[in-house]
Amino acid sequence: MNTIFFAQLLPPGVNVPIILPELIVALTGVVIMVYDSFFPKKRAVTGAVALLGLAAAGVLLATMWGGAHPASAWGGMIAHDNLRISFSFVFLFVSAMTVLISTVWIEREDVPAGEYHALLMFATFGMMLMSAGNDLVVIFLGLETLSIATYVMAGLRKSDLKSNESSMKYFILGSFASAFLLYGMALIYGATGETGLTQIAEKLVSPNFPALLLVGAAMMIVGFGFKIAMAPFHVWTPDVYEGAPTPVTGFMAAGPKAAAFASFLRIFVLGLPLIAGVQSSVYLHQTWITAVTVMAILTIIIGNVAAIMQDNVKRMLAYSSIAHAGYALVGFVGAGMAKTTQARDEAIAAVAFYLLTYAVTNLGAFAIVTLLAQKNDRRAEFEDYNGIGFKSPVLAFSLSLFMLSLLGLPLTAGFMGKVLVFRPALEAGNTLLTVLVVVAVVNTAISAYYYLRLIVVMFFRERTTEWAEPKMPASMAAALLITVLGVLYFGIFSDRVIQQFSQQPSVAIAAVEK
Amino acid sequence: MDFLNQNLLTVLILLPVVGAVLLLGHQMFWKQEGQLKWLTLGFTLLNFVVSLALFSKSAVAGASGFFFEQNVPWITAINTNYHVGIDGISFWLVVLTTFIMPIAVLSTWHAVEKRATAFYIFLLLLESAMIGVFVSLDLLVFYLFFEASLVPMFFLIGIWGGANRIYAAVKFFIFTAMGSLLMLVAIIALYYIYADQTGLGGSFDLVAILNAMNAGNVVLAPQTGMLLFLAFAIAFAIKVPLFPFHTWLPDAHTEAPTAGSVILAAILLKMGTYGLMRFNFALFPDQSRETAWIFITLAIIGIIYGALVAMVQPDVKRLVAYSSVAHMGFVILGMFSFTGMGMQGALYQMLNHGISTGALFLLVGFIYERRHTREITEFGGLANIMPIYATIFVITTMSSIGLPFLNGFVGEFLIMVGMFQSHALDTVRLLGWNWNYVATMLAGTGVIFAAVYMLWMVQRVFFGKVTNEKNRTLLDLSWREIGLMVPLLALMVYMGVFPKPFLARSEASIKALQERVTHQAGGTIEQADAKTELENR
Repeated sequence: MNTIFFAQLLPPGVNVPIILPELIVALTGVVIMVYDSFFPKKRAVTGAVALLGLAAAGVLLATMWGGAHPASAWGGMIAHDNLRISFSFVFLFVSAMTVLISTVWIEREDVPAGEYHALLMFATFGMMLMSAGNDLVVIFLGLETLSIATYVMAGLRKSDLKSNESSMKYFILGSFASAFLLYGMALIYGATGETGLTQIAEKLVSPNFPALLLVGAAMMIVGFGFKIAMAPFHVWTPDVYEGAPTPVTGFMAAGPKAAAFASFLRIFVLGLPLIAGVQSSVYLHQTWITAVTVMAILTIIIGNVAAIMQDNVKRMLAYSSIAHAGYALVGFVGAGMAKTTQARDEAIAAVAFYLLTYAVTNLGAFAIVTLLAQKNDRRAEFEDYNGIGFKSPVLAFSLSLFMLSLLGLPLTAGFMGKVLVFRPALEAGNTLLTVLVVVAVVNTAISAYYYLRLIVVMFFRERTTEWAEPKMPASMAAALLITVLGVLYFGIFSDRVIQQFSQQPSVAIAAVEK
Repeated sequence: MDFLNQNLLTVLILLPVVGAVLLLGHQMFWKQEGQLKWLTLGFTLLNFVVSLALFSKSAVAGASGFFFEQNVPWITAINTNYHVGIDGISFWLVVLTTFIMPIAVLSTWHAVEKRATAFYIFLLLLESAMIGVFVSLDLLVFYLFFEASLVPMFFLIGIWGGANRIYAAVKFFIFTAMGSLLMLVAIIALYYIYADQTGLGGSFDLVAILNAMNAGNVVLAPQTGMLLFLAFAIAFAIKVPLFPFHTWLPDAHTEAPTAGSVILAAILLKMGTYGLMRFNFALFPDQSRETAWIFITLAIIGIIYGALVAMVQPDVKRLVAYSSVAHMGFVILGMFSFTGMGMQGALYQMLNHGISTGALFLLVGFIYERRHTREITEFGGLANIMPIYATIFVITTMSSIGLPFLNGFVGEFLIMVGMFQSHALDTVRLLGWNWNYVATMLAGTGVIFAAVYMLWMVQRVFFGKVTNEKNRTLLDLSWREIGLMVPLLALMVYMGVFPKPFLARSEASIKALQERVTHQAGGTIEQADAKTELENR
């Protein structure tokens, strides 16, 4: 057999099949890059190749649930569990939708499509690595692969000052945050002498330097806090989101944020678990739970209150994405407090599902914003949406559906997501967490104001200026159809997805060769 | 027939959705907006006819005491089921919904010209959501319908409403959403309390939770129970609306298009009182009793305040809106008397209010279509010009203020008798008075006030000389308008003369609910009362 033959050739611990989805995505990126250098400006081809690569990776990933792979491979550096698979699905979905949505923009702004698609593939590869990485070093590698690709994507509109500013800001602040994260990782290594998360978790019983654990965890919270736009590390978000090209903004709000959540979950919930009776671990656990809870409360309040005051739709969505990171953190803290492994898996699945619903909804919203934005994103103020409701009913009703889903109204994806992330937090039965849920809920009602505002503007006001309905290319129509159906599907028939997400993949007895 | 019997409630919920989809298809392919109202009317009428099957004598209650029960797993991961069923409490509300809808559609015949497709689609979606609210027995599914009913109403007010519609629509949405979101937290908390105490895993199923509570498997700690109770109660109190939460109502009512006001008054408000009965009374009987004095106080404030504010309104529609606050106060009063009569009266008054206030809004709509104003001072002496209109208006007014032999009287009478016999305020020992009597008396003044503001308005609008020349050319009601008022008028008289069949249907359910809500460790309130009476002798 081929695989056995290769297994003998390669160093021990190597397991190629288990990282095949990641490899496919990375290879697709390479293929696009090479192809683009020979046949530049073939946007349809590179886009199609990207979609094919993502689809292949997705299909492969789906088979891996029952694929009987070992629970970890590569000497424990790659994990194979529900967290990895479910988050990877989110990334692949986000990436594929981004390809579809950006076609309008690529054409309008004459963006070098090959580079863009290649960058997107590398970013996706980075994200998948972040959710699969079970080792601090691998996670950092994934994060950097992702970040560098995203910095460039944010600045792709080279002639536009705002886009440059966005890219520059993102780059400087992002590097700063990466440094924090890396420093935190180093300190954790110092405290435990390990970089593998499984080993770190085992080592928590008797860490070499318990104090370093605390400092390291704090540093990592700062680093991840930046990546997921958790208050008070969220300040970069609105500027970067507003300046970046709209499809890239949609991508950043849905993809990299979810990826950061995946690693954040893996490091904190799985890597720094509560070990009853060990004082340093109890203290560490209590501290990070409290810190993240308080920051989640802040995030939710700041995101929602600031969103109310925005006049630009992209900025509003930026602040809304901050608020949504806060809601996802509710599930995150719930996962951290889970009492049983099953409850923990369910909570992790809830966060993944939440981010999936957010991605579906948000990408749909950004698709429409992209379509209406025109060159250089000129048309993104609330006023530009005045009275278009019955002039372009398909666009306006879809956008309303997305707004209602972001708001979390029943029968939409957003509602199921919210119910799922609030559950584990309430299950903990902890006062602080209950307060967090109540804050989240009250803020949901506050958020009604600005989500409804878009609906109000579109439907309840009359248009005074002329309105030319934008032409909708097929790719955009496909993206809209998928997101609209997705919002309804996840809102009504989410059972299967939730079940699948919270299920650990069937695992072959790992023959650990060291 | 068997299929229909087993899926009747689902059919009732889905039929309007099917109608909405057809409407959309029709509009996309034929582009004949004029036919849409016929289609919508057809679907609402069909739904009404189907709902008549609820009267079927062959229906048998399931183990949980609900008829036409259906329980299908929905999201197994969080153990929520599509569980629907009706009992005597929800029965009439469902029928009221299907009955009012065709009338509301008919009322829009000429009123909605612009964007008719969307209007009728929203109306139909609203109907599904409302029926869903009244029949769901799963807390999460209930919440889902409760929230879902907001969206169509929001659009109805916002697009087809009056000048101040945007403010009214947003206020309506945010007020109600705020309340119901807290309820969502309480629902999820109940889920875990159930899971913790029974060890069976969480459940959103009302019947399962109630059974566990009855069996003593789920016992709420007093403080937790009170918090949960309040979360539910505030959500419903906003919807009713109970006194300090009522400010969204006059705005929403005044700005909404006629059909919207009718549905809002006739059905949407009932979701609040229904919710209090179904969920607060059943799930938290102790807390309901403990807080009864608050609810009764607020209800009485609502009755008197609503009446006084209504008295000074220059706008007829706003006047009717404030009268709603007063009427709903009566309903709350009857419910919290915890007597069979009072609760029956409350349920009856819910139907009455739906019929007579719905009719009043229709009548206001008729005159608004003709004159495009609702200011009382613009009118005067209308009885000379529009005799049929005036006659119908006066009958409806009488029904609203509770003239004997009309429906309003039966409801208010039952509520007052119920409150008079009540022991809900026995714990209030202030001044040594029997506060149950005081409450009844104060509510009684509300009836008088109601007569004052309604009759005064009728006098200024209809009687005397014609003061405004513009009114001289007004046409009396058309056959369509008379036609849609006739069923309402007939019901007003019928319900006023023969309340028996209506009350009989809800009797058993109300009795069971009353027993549950008055049941406490030392026996029911009635038993304790009988004991003291015996000792006194």
